[in-house]
Amino acid sequence: MSAPNPLLAHTVAVLLDDGLVTLNRAVGVLRRRNVPIEGLALHPSGTAGLSRLTFVLKADAATADRVAQQFHKMIGVRSVMVLADGDSTTEAAR
Amino acid sequence: MSELLTGAEILCRALVDAGVEVIFGYPGGAIMPFYHALPDHPRLRHILVRHEQAAAHAADGYARASGRVGVCVATSGPGATNLVTGLAAAYMDNSPVVAITGQVSRPMIGRDAFQETDIIGITLPITKQSYLVQDVTELAGVVADAIAVAREGRPGPVLIDVPKDVQNQKMDWKNPERPRDPRSRLRGQSLTPGAKPGTLGSSGSVEEGVHQAARLIKGADRPLLMVGHGVILADAYADVRALAEKTGIPVITTLLGISGFPDGHPLHLGMPGMHGEVHVNRAIQQADVIVGIGLRFDDRVTGNTASFAPQARIIHIDLDRSEIGKNVPVAVGIVGDARDITRRLVAAVEPRWCERWLEHIHGFKRPRAESYRGDLSPDAILASICEASQGDCTIVSDVGQHQMWVAKLYPYRRPNTHITSGGLGAMGFAVPAAMGVHLARPGHTVWAISGDGGFQMNMAEIATMVQEGLPVKMAVFNNGYLGMVRQWQQFFHGKRYSCTPIWSPDYVKLAERRSRPGAGGVHDRTGSQRVPDDPARGLAVGADRGGARRRARELATDVRS
Repeated sequence: MSAPNPLLAHTVAVLLDDGLVTLNRAVGVLRRRNVPIEGLALHPSGTAGLSRLTFVLKADAATADRVAQQFHKMIGVRSVMVLADGDSTTEAAR
Repeated sequence: MSELLTGAEILCRALVDAGVEVIFGYPGGAIMPFYHALPDHPRLRHILVRHEQAAAHAADGYARASGRVGVCVATSGPGATNLVTGLAAAYMDNSPVVAITGQVSRPMIGRDAFQETDIIGITLPITKQSYLVQDVTELAGVVADAIAVAREGRPGPVLIDVPKDVQNQKMDWKNPERPRDPRSRLRGQSLTPGAKPGTLGSSGSVEEGVHQAARLIKGADRPLLMVGHGVILADAYADVRALAEKTGIPVITTLLGISGFPDGHPLHLGMPGMHGEVHVNRAIQQADVIVGIGLRFDDRVTGNTASFAPQARIIHIDLDRSEIGKNVPVAVGIVGDARDITRRLVAAVEPRWCERWLEHIHGFKRPRAESYRGDLSPDAILASICEASQGDCTIVSDVGQHQMWVAKLYPYRRPNTHITSGGLGAMGFAVPAAMGVHLARPGHTVWAISGDGGFQMNMAEIATMVQEGLPVKMAVFNNGYLGMVRQWQQFFHGKRYSCTPIWSPDYVKLAERRSRPGAGGVHDRTGSQRVPDDPARGLAVGADRGGARRRARELATDVRS
């Protein structure tokens, strides 16, 4: 086994449809996958019909990527950005 | 030309337009407008189940056998909540099911009205998408969307919740200009399969991934192919077989991958994991390269992932990007359709053979325990079932000990002829799911094989099959125990057989009582004689608690009307 990777604060920003079912499902992903989050915020995205869900999780890069992928496959999700502590913003690879 | 139609009529028309032919359902208050409209649409055959759970399992079985969407319908509240187990089973096993539920009228939503439940909230984690229809103008578009979403990419269940007043709401219906769900355009990129094809951790192209995989395969001394449900969903049988035969790599089929590669093929090894074959698990532990196609490295396959395949570099091919690296670390992850990627891999690999490795694996094989042998052993019973249908039938198994026997011992030759609740492991699945399989494959022999526990969970569906004239054959492995739990009690709980003995009714008498008069024979043959090979009859097979002395009973299930 390799040594565990260091935990970093990752900010994840999810751009998604602002329907209540989509938002409910998105927040549900965090609970369902037992993702340890430190903050959760929902903002208008500036584009009509779309919202931005932002949360911070303390995890290694692989876990952050796994979380991003769970959002990517959700219907109604447009993009997922993952910002690691001290990193520049990158769109999570699909 | 336009007509004034109700939401319920539009719902029926939208289902007909989508090519739906069979609906499994149960009426009730909030879905009554739909049932009022249904008789005007004879192309929609409705199967009245005896419990909504069976409707969902039957739709699931129909979907798995046909590759088309299976549809189930229930009323609000208890009708909807009864669907939950079936939807969870469909979700875990990626089955395209559309569930339509009645809901209380819009002004009543949120007031804890009679038979109101938040079924969308309840099913969020076990559905791919859900719709609460807010207006009749959305309805036709929602149905078309739901059916598309259920099938596309990695399939899964979708729920449509239709308030009763929307079912009664009228609108001007213009055919063929179907009103579209105004939200459908927002579905954007997610409409396409869950992820773009590509390779992880490299230049990102599929070509690069295939190239890397081919290199790893070339350099491997002890390679294995692991085949999962994705191969069946993607219809990748021929390509997987071509890959195995070009490289000589032995093939493992997971529980849901069974029948994705022919049993009896010289390269076929069997099932891995907790209940898998010893030689298969030992091969995994010694493998240096594993090519996994369309599987998720479930914990029943891997056990403790830290010690799973410790020497192997894993090439993982999956349609769902989120599966790659989720459970086991991978050397090469390729995102894409199993058939497409496997085909490319076949073109990229160099021909080779793995004779010594295959011989080495066969050296791990051990004779089966005594209880597996003899005239009425699981082996012999399953061989008889195979013989009775000339090897051409679909087996739908339930969950438990018999499921593992069926998985390991039945010789599957044809693709997609093994259907079971793998991910959820839902007891009670087999009987209703087999009903769905039969409707998807009329004229084809379908066997529902259950234990005495699972059979009793949904045996009420025999009545449905009698009413609808569905000649599904049923076999019950009746050993008087919840066998799988008992087995765990034996191994892990100090042989304390708490609450696992289970009484059974006389299944033969039950079948007699539930058969239509003159609708085929019911036979009770108790004793140790060989199972007869009359394909017109089903079998119920009993064993005493020790499993040493066994009794065989025939359960007539020939309920043709």
